Amino acid sequence: MFDLLKFACNIADKAGCQFADARYLEIRKQRVVSRDLALSSCSDRDDRGFGVRVLYRGAWGFASSPTYSADEIEKVVALAIRIARASALALREDGVNWAPEPALSLDFKSSCKYNPFTVTLEDKADLLISANEIMLKNKTVKRAQGFLSFKQVKRWYANTEGAELYSDVTSSESAIWAIAVGNEDFQERNWKAPATNQGFECYQKEEFVKQAERVAAEAEEKLSARLSPEGEFDIITDSENLSLTIHESVGHATELDRVMGYEVSMAGSSFVTRDKQREFQYGSDQVTLMADNTLENGLATQGFDDDGVPGQRWEIVRDGIFQTYSSGREFAHYIGEERSRGSCRADHWSSIPIVRIPNLFLMPGKTPLSPEELMADVGHGIYFEGMDSFSIDQWRLNFQFGGNAVWEIKNGRKAGMLKAALYQSRTPTFWNACDATCDENYWQSHGITNCGKGDPMQVAQMTHGAAPTRFRNIRICRGRDS
Amino acid sequence: MNRQQAQDLIESILEIPREGELQVLLNGVHRLGTRFNDCAISQNVLRQQTTLTLSARLEQKKTSLSINTLDDQALIKRSIEQAFAFCRHMPDDEEVMPAPGEVLESHEYAYSTESEAIEIETVGAWAAEACRAGAAADIDLAGLLAHGKTFSAYGDSAGGFAYEGSHRSDYHVTATGNNGSGWAEHQGVTIGQDNVMTATRSAIEKCARAQHPEVFEPRPVTVILEPQAVGDLMAMAFWYGFDQRARDEGRSAFSDYDATLGHQSFYSDPADPVFPTVSFSSGGQALVRTVWLESGKLQQLLTSRYWASKNNLAVKPAPNNLVLTGDGTPLEELVRSTDDGILVTRFWYIRPTDARTLGFTGMTRDGTYRIENGEVTHPVVDMRWNESVLKVLDHVVASGKPVATGEFMAMAMPALKIEDFHFTSLSN
Repeated sequence: MFDLLKFACNIADKAGCQFADARYLEIRKQRVVSRDLALSSCSDRDDRGFGVRVLYRGAWGFASSPTYSADEIEKVVALAIRIARASALALREDGVNWAPEPALSLDFKSSCKYNPFTVTLEDKADLLISANEIMLKNKTVKRAQGFLSFKQVKRWYANTEGAELYSDVTSSESAIWAIAVGNEDFQERNWKAPATNQGFECYQKEEFVKQAERVAAEAEEKLSARLSPEGEFDIITDSENLSLTIHESVGHATELDRVMGYEVSMAGSSFVTRDKQREFQYGSDQVTLMADNTLENGLATQGFDDDGVPGQRWEIVRDGIFQTYSSGREFAHYIGEERSRGSCRADHWSSIPIVRIPNLFLMPGKTPLSPEELMADVGHGIYFEGMDSFSIDQWRLNFQFGGNAVWEIKNGRKAGMLKAALYQSRTPTFWNACDATCDENYWQSHGITNCGKGDPMQVAQMTHGAAPTRFRNIRICRGRDS
Repeated sequence: MNRQQAQDLIESILEIPREGELQVLLNGVHRLGTRFNDCAISQNVLRQQTTLTLSARLEQKKTSLSINTLDDQALIKRSIEQAFAFCRHMPDDEEVMPAPGEVLESHEYAYSTESEAIEIETVGAWAAEACRAGAAADIDLAGLLAHGKTFSAYGDSAGGFAYEGSHRSDYHVTATGNNGSGWAEHQGVTIGQDNVMTATRSAIEKCARAQHPEVFEPRPVTVILEPQAVGDLMAMAFWYGFDQRARDEGRSAFSDYDATLGHQSFYSDPADPVFPTVSFSSGGQALVRTVWLESGKLQQLLTSRYWASKNNLAVKPAPNNLVLTGDGTPLEELVRSTDDGILVTRFWYIRPTDARTLGFTGMTRDGTYRIENGEVTHPVVDMRWNESVLKVLDHVVASGKPVATGEFMAMAMPALKIEDFHFTSLSN
């Protein structure tokens, strides 16, 4: 596979390109969807092709093709250079400052005990439909659904610096959900099985059945929940809920390309300007947020990024103080760093790499603390579990999140479910209101598989994690008028 | 791939021996995307690919398989065999429907001869000209200029066939000054340098008027939404709320809901002159003008072939565009008739907050202004809002003329003047 990629790099080099890289990808995807007692769809996709990126006279060009042959390689390299010439019509004054990286030869394979593509469709149907059967036993549940989604990406990468990198990453994702109808309302409750760089081994029928019972019962309970109060309350988030808040208010906010204005017209910029590095009080001293693209089974753990830089681990926030950003080779120099953080990824062979959120998580508390103890210190508060409505402004400051299930807390205990509760805050206000997070025994990870960024939009995946965490005096509002 | 090439390929695929019904879909794209920021081109890409999707049906079982290698007949044959092998293992689903088997007329409403001539260098030159305009105004300019053509071809073993080529242009640009930003777009089936420069100048002008925004304490107030904001909101409302089956099963904001939603009409029409689209669905069904709301009264909801047959309803497949009517009031007049209000250029990050009431939240961005006594007086800090679309439509008091908008879906939307719109918190 590397021969044609090196051929592409050689052509680009001879044509005078300052840098070029070529990626060939073989992508296999399968998605099985259940609706009540049937599978509503099973779709399989085989997608392969290559992309060539060139830096020619200070301008970028990129072209791609599904036809992997020497003739096509020559055409695509020529096309990429032609596109770079068009880019040169509006050159960046200070040019492209490309961070150096040793030319590595590296193979990476994610853990996969049971190849999901060889598991029979009957076994997949059994998992999903068994869960649906359980959920439908609850008479308020009028619709039970679920899906299993698998992806395997084989990636070959070469560049004009001599790198030869290969990865083979299998990821799996699943969820089930129930929609209950009654009391002149309808409510949805879900359970997300692990989304992870693993195979079918992470899904067991017993767990699906157990979760299905809980999901159906809580969907029914949501129907008779009272509308959330409004005002300021202490809140507790479970690890899944906080994972999305970490993603939106820390992950995107600390992407260096956003900070430098490269995403202004679509995804937006960031309030975390460069002057804040190593000074800004992002959160309380309880808040240490770690990036780790070597995290075992993390969705962003892929061996190396699409700039050819190996996965790394670094602190985004340490004891509340902002440290540094996620970056790619084009961006490291903007903050005086000599090396990229290796967090530049493309979602397809026909896409250009952009800075993406790494695996990113809130470190667990250093002293023993259980969820019960965490809640015991709340007089009147609200507990958010799972992911629901989420929205944040283009500076990653003003945000509003819901929960898939929300409970009122009174005198340190759960005191009934709430409907339409939303917490609304500004990023530094929120993280500085964090006064405790549970210890490592309660830390869990959650995969995000639909992170949209770029223009045209690209979709990336990464893993977040946290233990149940408490925030004081957070504004609560409602998504429904009383 | 032209019509004849697509038809020949589909026919050759349908001639391959197989054990059941086969539907074949070809989707091809050739699209340039030139992205710039800080008045310089930062990304420039060409995406070209054709995807072949094979849907196999055996009685009440159905699966699909996609590949993007089309020049290997042996691979296509293996893929068909694989699709049917999967199909045999599927449990029965009573909702599986046979292929429609219809031969559809090729309208090509969204095909533009003019667009065929747009080359890589043309797009680069237009983007560079926009960048120069930004630099001349001493403003950071960032945006995307994308242009491309697509084709869709459908065939099935029941004799169905459809083919259409189309074009799509998307230019959106953000102008950022020291303390505020402005935004504009051009959407449609074609684009020229004049469109690019008109949008660029508009973004720069909006940016100039957006500097040093003041705080407007969030409260319910009359709002004038420009077309992008209206389109973003209506598209979310449509895909989250306009489903017949969900309504019939009590899972929709429209379940047991009979009130009129203001006075606008809301429809889809592939032949819409403002933003035309391909006139058939990925399932080989013809798309025709479909009215969802007529003068605010609910007329139709999305209805699958299965649900239609079970309940004796008309099939209403998912459309390729959305159109909201307007009364044609110029934006200046909408402002002049407003004593106390907010003018919104653009919405961002709209997400549902409550399915039962079709409630959403979102932010304003890139040009939000205070209206006092019929005049735009100053820019204001961006705000979050929480609102029910049912209420929003009911509170429309005036509207503009529909214009093309929508990066992710073709839409023709007017500006809307809406009373009692709930802003809830401040942004930056």
